[in-house]
Amino acid sequence: MAAALQLPSYLDQSPEVAARFQRLRERPVALEVSGLTKTFETTRGTVTALSDVSFSVHKREFMCVIGPSGCGKSTLARVLAGLEAPTSGDVRVYGQPVSGPGPDRGMVFQSYTLFPWQTVKQNVMFGPLMAGASRNSAESEARQWIELVGLTKFENAYPQQLSGGMKQRVAIARALANQPRVLFMDEPFGALDAQTRCQMQSHLLDIWKNVDITIVFITHDLDEAVFLSDRILVLDPHPGRVREMIEVPVPRPRHNDQLFEPSFMAVRKHIDNLIHPPGQDHQKESPVLRLVARDPDVV
Amino acid sequence: MRPLASLFKGWFLIRRDLSSSRRLFLTAVSFILPLALWCFVSYVDWIWHPDIKLQLSSEREGNSTVFTAGDHISPGYYQEMVVATRAENTRLLASTPPPKSSKRANQKLLRQLAPVAISHDWLPYTEAQNDAVIYHLWRDIATGTKVPTDPALTPENLDIVKQNWAQLAPLAADFSLASLPETPLLKLIPQGLPANPVYLPAPHEVWRSGWRDFKATPPEGELSMTQRYQHSLRVILLGFFWACVIGVPIGILCGVFDFFSKLFEPFVDFFRYMPAPTFSTLLVAVLLAGDAPKIALVFIGTVFQMILVVSKTTRLLDPSLLEAAQTLGASPRQMLTRVVIPGILPNLYNDLRILLGWAWTWLVIAELIGVKSGLTEFIETQGRFRNFDRVFPVIILIGVTGFVTDQILSWLHGIIFPWTGRGNPIAQAFLRFLFWPFRQLSKLSDRAGTPT
Ligand SMILES: Nc1ncnc2c1ncn2[C@@H]1O[C@H](COP(=O)(O)OP(=O)(O)OP(=O)(O)O)[C@@H](O)[C@H]1O
Ligand SMILES: [Mg+2]
Repeated sequence: MAAALQLPSYLDQSPEVAARFQRLRERPVALEVSGLTKTFETTRGTVTALSDVSFSVHKREFMCVIGPSGCGKSTLARVLAGLEAPTSGDVRVYGQPVSGPGPDRGMVFQSYTLFPWQTVKQNVMFGPLMAGASRNSAESEARQWIELVGLTKFENAYPQQLSGGMKQRVAIARALANQPRVLFMDEPFGALDAQTRCQMQSHLLDIWKNVDITIVFITHDLDEAVFLSDRILVLDPHPGRVREMIEVPVPRPRHNDQLFEPSFMAVRKHIDNLIHPPGQDHQKESPVLRLVARDPDVV
Repeated sequence: MRPLASLFKGWFLIRRDLSSSRRLFLTAVSFILPLALWCFVSYVDWIWHPDIKLQLSSEREGNSTVFTAGDHISPGYYQEMVVATRAENTRLLASTPPPKSSKRANQKLLRQLAPVAISHDWLPYTEAQNDAVIYHLWRDIATGTKVPTDPALTPENLDIVKQNWAQLAPLAADFSLASLPETPLLKLIPQGLPANPVYLPAPHEVWRSGWRDFKATPPEGELSMTQRYQHSLRVILLGFFWACVIGVPIGILCGVFDFFSKLFEPFVDFFRYMPAPTFSTLLVAVLLAGDAPKIALVFIGTVFQMILVVSKTTRLLDPSLLEAAQTLGASPRQMLTRVVIPGILPNLYNDLRILLGWAWTWLVIAELIGVKSGLTEFIETQGRFRNFDRVFPVIILIGVTGFVTDQILSWLHGIIFPWTGRGNPIAQAFLRFLFWPFRQLSKLSDRAGTPT
């Protein structure tokens, strides 16, 4: 127990990890966000969802965005994907300013958003067909992506017949089939059970390894963020602004055993403190609850 | 004992589906129950039966109101009729020498048996005044060659037939009006049975009249029932078709573009509160007689509802599907054709199904404007004559048509839109059957494509 308590600093990086980050920083910038502010006009006044958010993501980096509920994570993803226009600031992908949704930026939503009237294969073919590919080439391309996510057996099934995990794999294949340069994922595994989520995370890392893609992954799950990412962007709530950008000192390739390594625990604990500052719990007064007498075994 | 108890358990569960056999049972019961009630009220005398339905009628001296077979009268009046007719006969027999009578009166008297002949199919109902046939009927009944059963003649009336025949017999085979005797014949005593009011004919009467009306070849210049039916179907389908052609695209545009929504919907919303029938005279004035104003009425009645319903359905499409399509690089035009339209089709189909049901209401009104036509004209005419046994078959026909169409369309829903997952097993099997050749072909081409 004592050993576990004495965690290293989350800033400590092994030489290999430090060298890797050095190389990452030298890569071209895939996504650049500067001074991004987003406000919503509502009947109850102006809501600032994002305030002066700036960061950049390098080519083939895997970045996670984490923050408490309502801090503007989804808003950030939607602005990056071009589904919402920023109030001020700008977003550039490989130097090109973003002015609307486009096939160069893929998006995977928490709610799957598969087209229910299309089979798995037709869903994956959607992007290439929109881009003007012929039916045959789109189909053979789709087959490969479906194989990559391991759903070959289900290529003619309708989304309704798939489990949540399978649907999300189709959504990933559909986004990848478009060969976007950056992929945004907004809590894609949020609705899955712990077991499936774990599998999907390893699976996603496998895909990322094999495909030339930069990923911005939004989550509220600490373990998920640390397990997946190179760097973690921690957002503060109300208004959403950057709290800290953390370089994850856990070496790659990642596997599930690393969940209990000191470096892993150190980052995890640090982020936990950022998001849930210590000393805030256990202080609630609850006059409406019916309190019972103390039970020494129930503590 | 246990299985019996379980038979009664679990019928009432809040928001739970019953097993398919129980559902089927209840579906059957939902039709059998009203039918049974109808039969019960019609065939069990003591439940209601406030009227007497005449099977055989007679005219009385000095009474101008004439009742014919099939008419409903009150039991009190029926008694009065019977007593009065008997009294007339007695008076006739008592008076010597017999009073003179016109041949015309005797001819009327002969025709008293016509309804009996018609209900036995001894005489087509269009030939109710074919005196030669009726004359032979008197002979046949008097001699016992023909025995009426439904309605059977009372012994009293049989007696009268025989007595009259004694007078008529000398006319022999060659019947002619001129050769009728001048001595008055005896009148048949009115016969009747307890019955429900005219507006509630018994099932077998409805069935019989319906069967007869649909099989009958109509008199020159009138439409047969099948022709009327086809005419009605044509009007409703054309009206509905044009409503779809105009209403569906506008509805989709309103649902997709706020521009069209604000441009069209306020006026449409206002217009639909003006009842379509109020335009009927206007439509007839503009489009003249014929089918055009009728089709236009079905159109007006349907199209405004359709625009609103379709635009609502379009707006219900999950907007995140459109966002997903956008991030996949779909252009606005592609979003419309590849996402919006296929996405709303299953719901649109159901909307149209419901609207088609409403269109039947407009059809009935449409057929009454201008020159009356179709099934409704028949209902109108027969209703005026209080021939409700002939009205009900047509009403039921309209109901059955609407219901069966809707059931078929609902069944097809599962076939046309297999992804909605509501397709029943039979529909799925049908679909598999339908696509079997294509599956085999694609399997073959797959095999050809992969090197072994
Ligand atoms: N369309 C909108 N109109 C008004 N306010 C909005 C809108 N979208 C988001 N907001 C506000 O912006 C803030 C951030 O919302 P957002 O959905 O981005 O949070 P989130 O971090 O994704 O939360 P969660 O983890 O629960 O998904 C919230 O306070 C929300 O009320
Ligand atoms: Mg969110």
